[in-house]
Amino acid sequence: MANTVKIKATDGSDVEFVDTVIGAGGMKDVYFSPDKSHVVAFFRDRQDFNAKDRLQNITGVYREKIFNQIGGEYWKDLYCWPTKIVEHNGKLGLVCPTYHKHFFFSTGSINNDFLGIKGKEKEGKWYASAKNQNKFLDPKERGDWFKYFQICINISRAVRRLHAAGLAHSDLSYKNVLLDPTSGKASIIDIDGLVVPGKYPPDVLGTPDFIAPEVIATKHLKMGDAARQLPKITTDRHALAVMIYMYLLYRHPLRGGKVWDTDPAKDEDLSMGAKALFVEHPTDTANRVKVKDLQPSQLPQGDPTKIPYSVCGPYLKKLFDSAFIDGLHNPAARPTADEWEQALLKTVDLMQPCQNPSCWHKWFVFDNTAKPKCPFCGAEYHGQLPVLNLYSSRRAGTFTPDDYRLMVFSEQGLYQWHVNRNISPNEKLTAEQKKRAGYFLFHNNKWLLVNERLNDLEDKTEGKKILIGQFVELTDGKQILLSKEDGGRLIIVQLVANKR
Amino acid sequence: MRRLPVYLLLDTSGSMRGEPIEAVKVGLDAMVASLRQDPFALESVHISIITFDKDVKQIMPLTELESMQIPDIQTPESGPTHLGMALELLCQKVDAEVQLSTPERKGDWMPLLFIMTDGKPSDVQLYNQMIPEVKKRHFGSIIACAAGVKADTKPLELLTSQVYSLDTTDSTTFKQFFKWVSASVSVGNRSIGAADEIVLPPPPPEVHNII
Repeated sequence: MANTVKIKATDGSDVEFVDTVIGAGGMKDVYFSPDKSHVVAFFRDRQDFNAKDRLQNITGVYREKIFNQIGGEYWKDLYCWPTKIVEHNGKLGLVCPTYHKHFFFSTGSINNDFLGIKGKEKEGKWYASAKNQNKFLDPKERGDWFKYFQICINISRAVRRLHAAGLAHSDLSYKNVLLDPTSGKASIIDIDGLVVPGKYPPDVLGTPDFIAPEVIATKHLKMGDAARQLPKITTDRHALAVMIYMYLLYRHPLRGGKVWDTDPAKDEDLSMGAKALFVEHPTDTANRVKVKDLQPSQLPQGDPTKIPYSVCGPYLKKLFDSAFIDGLHNPAARPTADEWEQALLKTVDLMQPCQNPSCWHKWFVFDNTAKPKCPFCGAEYHGQLPVLNLYSSRRAGTFTPDDYRLMVFSEQGLYQWHVNRNISPNEKLTAEQKKRAGYFLFHNNKWLLVNERLNDLEDKTEGKKILIGQFVELTDGKQILLSKEDGGRLIIVQLVANKR
Repeated sequence: MRRLPVYLLLDTSGSMRGEPIEAVKVGLDAMVASLRQDPFALESVHISIITFDKDVKQIMPLTELESMQIPDIQTPESGPTHLGMALELLCQKVDAEVQLSTPERKGDWMPLLFIMTDGKPSDVQLYNQMIPEVKKRHFGSIIACAAGVKADTKPLELLTSQVYSLDTTDSTTFKQFFKWVSASVSVGNRSIGAADEIVLPPPPPEVHNII
């Protein structure tokens, strides 16, 4: 048995760890606490004054800013935030919560885990690559498309909170975000490199694939040169956009066929830096993906003509345009993490389960057509599909459209953020607001909304109140009032019928 | 998707017979197993193995990680160490296997070359002739490793500035060496430092950089 070492953290509290290295990262050696609820990670190299001061702030004031507020508990799942600093045998270390069990592969790869990855961390790169998804991962580990939306929502939310506190992560990448497509959860790790603008300079440029073009294009300049661009909040926004694109589409938005230089290293710098160009740019076709150069295992996801980014729906398409067309070389035009979160949430309400049981993605975003079709497997949707258009009142008696639609599928829930314009699904929700307000059911060939906790629910077309426990049928053109409160919404039903 | 070609040149001359070559095999297996757990390497890394003793053989052509099966490595009783011939074969194979970029098509990353020997080249003249040829192939980096007390680092220094000397030829040493090779190969998914770019991770403690 290895010894348990007992030391004091810099805040005076007791810390214990078992004296066996369980893992080694780029800079740190990691040890378990005896109950495995925490790890202690010691830096191998001496840390200078700046680094120590930064760690003190990250475990202290910044941590408290985020966690010691109403809803602070919520963030525990979204970050692996270091809690204490320790010093032992002249080495500086951090105490962090252990990663949750769902961030380790439970079955790993196909063929009885021929790669031997069972029990390893679920690094994002496994999922952001079509080849890894198609060829190696056990289908049980892959999750469905809906889960990747949940993952992207969690990441956007976590980045949004950091940015709101004035912090930049500076190295968002597959390595530093763990994800679990079986549950839709994600967690940001390696928080110790956080950049506080104007206070601590970043120690890293980032990780290839995620570094913003202006950082790559100016990396040859000396540190201190005014033109040199380093990681900050606007470069995090680039990394976030790339990450969302990759987790939803399994390819990189800037890796196309254009050869800028026959030297691969120079070509890499140009295609990710000064010359970076979106592979799906609507007018500049120079960097289109050359499908014949792809490996068979990268298809079909690798081919943007088969699966264009517009499959992610209108709200995300608009943000991808801002990120990779307008904002690629203009950091100020990049969407914020908050915009991503909102757009992802609205997109989730446009999603439909695919009726083809063998569809790989299992879900698709409604394409606003009368003949909805899954863009991944090509299966058409058959039957009646209710689309609810949400309106809200800004002036008594009139309702205006919210540019918000909710697609209905059987057993789907209706929540407070659908009912009231002033409520958003985020960490601020109370336990009461998280409860389902009603649900939809396809029963005896009719689409029904069943009221579970809406006091004001009213069928406006029939002029009839729907009490809790009762239901209302969804028919084309029907108007249903969800709430009379300030910000309360009215829905107008559209029925799309695609007969077999 | 660009491939990262990795060439391993392994000394199989008589002095490697027995425990040293067994240690090399174990090290190779461990290296492949660890690279297969790296999703980044799995997408890009391709490996070729060339052995050299009195004969020179490419025992494995450039192969993607997932389909790699390390062939059995044989060592003769005794005989010369034809490293010069090995470099000649290497140049032929690189010319045939590595795809260069053209204005229309992205080629492979610059290949990496790892050489492990426990002696010195017996075919000195050919070896010296091949050095400029190897340099023309534009390797991303060339790392030479001289294992054991009888290994001569001088000829290797003519080929590359990255020559490391391993004290012994036992299993711990080779394990360390191949661990380091896999860490060097999978460096692409690491964070890049703001100050300088570090291409290779620091060598393992058993290895002494002699330049």
